[in-house]
Amino acid sequence: MSLIDALPTPKLSRQAWQPNVVVLSLGVVMLGIVWLFSTVHVAPNRIVPGTSYSLWQAIGWPGALLVTLLISAMCFLALVPTRTNYRAILVLVLVVLLLMPFGLMVAGHWLMDPDHPQARLGIGPAYWALLFILLLCLVELRLKLGVNRLTTTLLLSAVGIVWWLCATWWLENLALIQEFRARDQQFWRAVWQHIRLVSIAVGVSIVLGLILAMLMRRYAKLQKAAFATLNFLQTIPSLALFGLLLAPLAWLAANVPFLAQAGVSGIGTTPALIALIGYSLLPIVRNTYIALDEVSIETLDAAKAMGMRSYQRFWQVRFPLALPVLLEGVRITAVQAIGLTAVAALIGAGGLGTFIFQGLGQAAMDMVLLGALPILLLALLVDSGLGALAEALRPGGRS
Amino acid sequence: MRNNKSVEQHLTRRGWALPLVWGALLLVGVLGMPYMEGVFRWMEADARQVIYNRAEFYTLLARHLLVVGVAALVTISVGVLAGIAVTRQRGRDFLPLVGQLASLGQTFPPVAVLALAVPVLGFGTLPIIVALMLYGLLPIVRNTLVGLQDVNADIKQAALAMGMTPWQILRRVELPLAAPVILAGVRTSVTINIATAALGATVGASNLGDPIIAGIVNGNMAYVLQGALLIALLALTVDSAFDVYQQRLRTRLSAS
Repeated sequence: MSLIDALPTPKLSRQAWQPNVVVLSLGVVMLGIVWLFSTVHVAPNRIVPGTSYSLWQAIGWPGALLVTLLISAMCFLALVPTRTNYRAILVLVLVVLLLMPFGLMVAGHWLMDPDHPQARLGIGPAYWALLFILLLCLVELRLKLGVNRLTTTLLLSAVGIVWWLCATWWLENLALIQEFRARDQQFWRAVWQHIRLVSIAVGVSIVLGLILAMLMRRYAKLQKAAFATLNFLQTIPSLALFGLLLAPLAWLAANVPFLAQAGVSGIGTTPALIALIGYSLLPIVRNTYIALDEVSIETLDAAKAMGMRSYQRFWQVRFPLALPVLLEGVRITAVQAIGLTAVAALIGAGGLGTFIFQGLGQAAMDMVLLGALPILLLALLVDSGLGALAEALRPGGRS
Repeated sequence: MRNNKSVEQHLTRRGWALPLVWGALLLVGVLGMPYMEGVFRWMEADARQVIYNRAEFYTLLARHLLVVGVAALVTISVGVLAGIAVTRQRGRDFLPLVGQLASLGQTFPPVAVLALAVPVLGFGTLPIIVALMLYGLLPIVRNTLVGLQDVNADIKQAALAMGMTPWQILRRVELPLAAPVILAGVRTSVTINIATAALGATVGASNLGDPIIAGIVNGNMAYVLQGALLIALLALTVDSAFDVYQQRLRTRLSAS
């Protein structure tokens, strides 16, 4: 008997039939939240803070009872965590997610006065929290059931489509929708601007980063200096870097007419792009460098022994093997750039950040949401998309 | 190989010189900014005011540090405790969820988190502290998890076999071994928080971000430059101090 077997192993004392504490506690928290906090609020217009309504006031006693029943059912099913029960919980979570926009419709029908077209329905803290915790439940169930990425994506897109349909057809008194209707063209333009800025910044830094990483592999001296510079850049807060670029660029634009004609200016896209590229270089260069470095010497030797030329070894062996880690760098960069572009709105670069800062300035919270939610969504989409791509490109098969 | 070694030696020799230089520059900037009117006058010849004067620079710096400091204290204690809790036997059920949440949360842009905190919590300093806490929690939790999970299982078994109690194993073995990784998480968290706190000026907090915002609104580049310089110096001071501390920790760990 080895020494390890002699040690006490508390793990074995835990039985498979113990309740799933995670879903259980999430369910209890959900019940607490929907009963204690306000779910919706109604405001007479855009700026005035509205009156809050709790769950039973918003969707009536039957509705409140239904929500409570559904969540309690999740808790009960979580007591005996078999695979079937996990599936049932998954279905329940999806049902609640699908019912949520209809809850808003009912609330709008009950609480809104049709004589006041200006009035708007706001989403309260309990509603957001419920949404968030349901998504946490989904994450937990996905891990427990081993649902793959594709199925999760499909399920979530189905929920998303139902939400979208409800939003376009029946939820016109929802504050967020009203805010969107008031400036839909501006909104799509901002989305486009945002995506364009991010893609230019990420695209340019991929090219520059690849060149820099290869130069660093060739000239070891460059490596330390380049990493030090990029680290230094990354440390400087975004707002400060934008600020530091504003003054010199404004001076250049004012004093060098050629540059001004080329579109260089203190405020606007130029400083934003320079700063975004500066920030994006570090993750790309770091990951490219590490990725190219990690390819095992044996593999390269084997390629050499097979008679591959040096460029073949690079493009057919080293590069494809390095690609997943390299893409990981692109993913980090893109997500970071999406957030930083929002800050760039402060210096007039446009994009979705405009809504955030305008909304904050006018104390119009729905406008802030109109900017912040798409940014969040964009970041999540890009993150999962590039993550899936990196997984698919991983040599040795897709998992 | 030799190159690597020389880099390492260089790193271990790195002392407190760099953070002290940045800190001294920050101090000079904060105290001396009002006397540099001539320089900024040259930049903004037509402006009525060239030195930001809604509050003294040291007040702004103190408020900035206060917000970041309070948020850091709370996030470090809560984050490390949460990381420890979910790696223990009792809390292990929550480990996958917390791990996923911590890595998922990293994709949320700080600006969006800040913006979403305002409708719920209102304007002012409090929402910023809460937003910073929520956001700064994630890198700390994630690194605590990674650090604790990376501790070699054999070492833990050895500690157990030596008769250590779980509490002793945690305090004497796991935490010291995970410390460099946890510290890296704290560093990321604080660096992000210094930057995000500056954005707090847009939601009515008065700190070093305020000169920048005021400068952009009024088209006064001198204000912008003053705020930007000081924030950059603050970030560099804090980050380089963390760097030195991290190096020390690593050398101590590899030496013993």
